[in-house]
Amino acid sequence: MKSQTFYTKRIKPLVFMAVVTIICIVLTSSLYLLTRERVAMNELFFMRRSILDAAGVEHSGDVEGVNSLYESVVKEVGEVYVVGGNTYVKLFKGPGLWGEITILVGFEEDLKTITGVSVFAQNETPGLGARIEEPWFSQQFRGKEGPFSLVEEGTAAAKSEMDAITGATRTSDAFKNIMNRAISESATLKGGQ
Amino acid sequence: MARGMVKKTFLTPLGKDNPVFVQILGICSTLAVTNKLANTMVMVLGVMFTTALSSWTISLFRKQIPSRIRMMVETLVIATYVIIVDIILKAYNPEIWKQLGPYVGLIITNCIVMGRVEAFALQNKPTLSLIDGLASGMGYGYVLLIIAFVRELLGSGTIWGYQVLGSWWTKWAIMVMPPGGFFMLAILIWVVHEGVMKEGKNG
Repeated sequence: MKSQTFYTKRIKPLVFMAVVTIICIVLTSSLYLLTRERVAMNELFFMRRSILDAAGVEHSGDVEGVNSLYESVVKEVGEVYVVGGNTYVKLFKGPGLWGEITILVGFEEDLKTITGVSVFAQNETPGLGARIEEPWFSQQFRGKEGPFSLVEEGTAAAKSEMDAITGATRTSDAFKNIMNRAISESATLKGGQ
Repeated sequence: MARGMVKKTFLTPLGKDNPVFVQILGICSTLAVTNKLANTMVMVLGVMFTTALSSWTISLFRKQIPSRIRMMVETLVIATYVIIVDIILKAYNPEIWKQLGPYVGLIITNCIVMGRVEAFALQNKPTLSLIDGLASGMGYGYVLLIIAFVRELLGSGTIWGYQVLGSWWTKWAIMVMPPGGFFMLAILIWVVHEGVMKEGKNG
């Protein structure tokens, strides 16, 4: 056993740690840089797909299909996405149960009738609140007007009723609030606000 | 390296020294991600990748790492592998990445990874450590998949996202929430200890 010199006791651990840290940083940051474009493309694809969903436009679901369709029908006016000249889609955010919920809401020419809703980002409980991402939930808004009140899952019929999710009361409530705020702001969408 | 040693290293974490059943490690993620089979599978693959490669890496440098800072080095190596998993998922499977959210990053704090590095990789050769890490990840994985299977079936009436139980099935919301994970895990540990392991102890 060699004796503990100043070097082995103090200097070597420091140098070792510094070298390991540098290696790890170089590895992870180069991987990040290598995939950066792909990640940005994914984000853009998700956004475009959500906008088309909210506008109620049929699309193929794959990257090329969504991108080419988006470029041909969507015009960005300020913060508003004008789809096909007569549908107005905008991003709305609000607090959910665990984190922020970001949704896109589309309105028809009259700025009252909803063409669709799509969830862009959410952090709700998987299997409960996270069911806001499921098609049955977001599709229930098509053709409705609001302002909404919650009814039991599977019973919404009137234009101002929305299905709540069983077991996710607080998420349903938060979602209703975001929807109602979107509806109260919808009249200004044509100005691109 | 003896063949027997390899076999033993591989089988122990799957059976009598299972990280979840026997060592009761990695419980946090067991509860968090097991309400859907698909998410659980991705998590399991991530943990297997991380335990195997961090054990291998640490074992490779076990003679060079000053023992005073070994834990810092271990954490750093583990974190690096987890970030690699996270970035790759984000780039190539963004749908799953979105669903798993922060849980991928939390593999770093999974006690099994650090536990195997400390308990095994520091004393053993790289290849053996790689096998041990992989087997520990698998031992953790199959327990999680069993739990996820039951939780998804009872909680959502689906398996791997496909509807198997009809509309007559009343979904057990408790199974989807974290307490459901506690119940399932406890029941499973009890069954395994009473049913499977008792015989081994007596014999």
